[in-house]
Amino acid sequence: MNPSLKLTLLILIALEVSFIQVWSVNVALIVVSLLLMLFNHVSWRRLLWLTLVPLFFASALVWSLMLRGDASTHFLIVIFTRMFVYVYMGGWFTLTTKPLWLTRSLEQNAKLPSKFAYGFLAAFNLMPKIQAEVATVRAAALMRGEVLHVWSPRLYFKVILAAMNWSDQLAAAMTSHGFVEGAPRTHALTVPLLARDWWIFGISLLLVQVGLFVGLP
Amino acid sequence: MKRWHIRDIILVTIIAIFMGVIFWAIGPVYTILAAALAPAGLQPLANELLLGIWVMAGPLAGFVIRIPGAATLGELLGAVVEMFLGGIWGASTLISGTLQGFGSELGFILTGYKRYGWFTLVLSALTTTIVTFIWDLFRSGYAAYHLPFLLLLFCVRFLSVFIFGGVLTKLINNLLVRAHVLKD
Repeated sequence: MNPSLKLTLLILIALEVSFIQVWSVNVALIVVSLLLMLFNHVSWRRLLWLTLVPLFFASALVWSLMLRGDASTHFLIVIFTRMFVYVYMGGWFTLTTKPLWLTRSLEQNAKLPSKFAYGFLAAFNLMPKIQAEVATVRAAALMRGEVLHVWSPRLYFKVILAAMNWSDQLAAAMTSHGFVEGAPRTHALTVPLLARDWWIFGISLLLVQVGLFVGLP
Repeated sequence: MKRWHIRDIILVTIIAIFMGVIFWAIGPVYTILAAALAPAGLQPLANELLLGIWVMAGPLAGFVIRIPGAATLGELLGAVVEMFLGGIWGASTLISGTLQGFGSELGFILTGYKRYGWFTLVLSALTTTIVTFIWDLFRSGYAAYHLPFLLLLFCVRFLSVFIFGGVLTKLINNLLVRAHVLKD
């Protein structure tokens, strides 16, 4: 399925499920996401992890709602299953979508300005460098007997300085290679947006609407 | 008003990636805290205590890159990174991220992107708290809690957002101003 449409579908369903309380639709979404993940050969360990995490949080949340609130059993079931819908659908999306392909699709199909698409890609390719930079900043501080925590302003300060440097250099490099903001571009690889994608998108969304508004528990 | 250029887009993305890695790294801390508080039915409190860290990308990006939309984009991209790294909220991370970013953006919108000091930070912390709390009333079923507990959750959330999104952001900003990379 086309990544942009897939993302839109994911967000729309997650949003609807957050506001409407129908647990049978939640269960159906869980089953469908699980089947889609199995179909795409997601490893068992991954699936186990995707199950244990929401199991713990959903149970803890339901327990607090029982102790500190006056929610009905129906509402508790909805909240419990909702957690799984989020995690399973998120798992289905992230495990079957490549970020590079998604960005390309957003640029070509969703008309995201190319400066954003290429800006994101340029920065995402720096991911290992960013992680290395954090390690370097911490090690450098340790050599002076200073421990940097998540709440130390100095850690953020140093990383932001490095980030400013890199973004200047990358932007200059892209400009010198002929990248012009807002100029029309051709694409070496095109992401297809087929009629089939629209059909899957429309039918899935329609099915969810029917489930939500037909009066199921 | 300033417009987005490729340099700013790369900068906001790098900051978001950095914050996304931090969001993801405190996941286990949250799990342990939630497990410790869960038997007493206080699991949501773990969420409230740490929320400030998760919403920090917004005000930080808004302060460093003073362009409309910076806070929203920073937080949203942080959420994307967290989701792809395998964060614990799955698909709802994207919606939460957008709302958290928009919440802190509101603080900057209300001051017209002109004032970058304490006032804006406190305002931004307040709008973030309100917007994200309304979202949790629905998403996490907060509306079903008794009122005193709900008020406690709200106050703890505001304090957390204020400390991380407000005080810590201001301290980072001060260092950047002293290094002459940002204007006061």
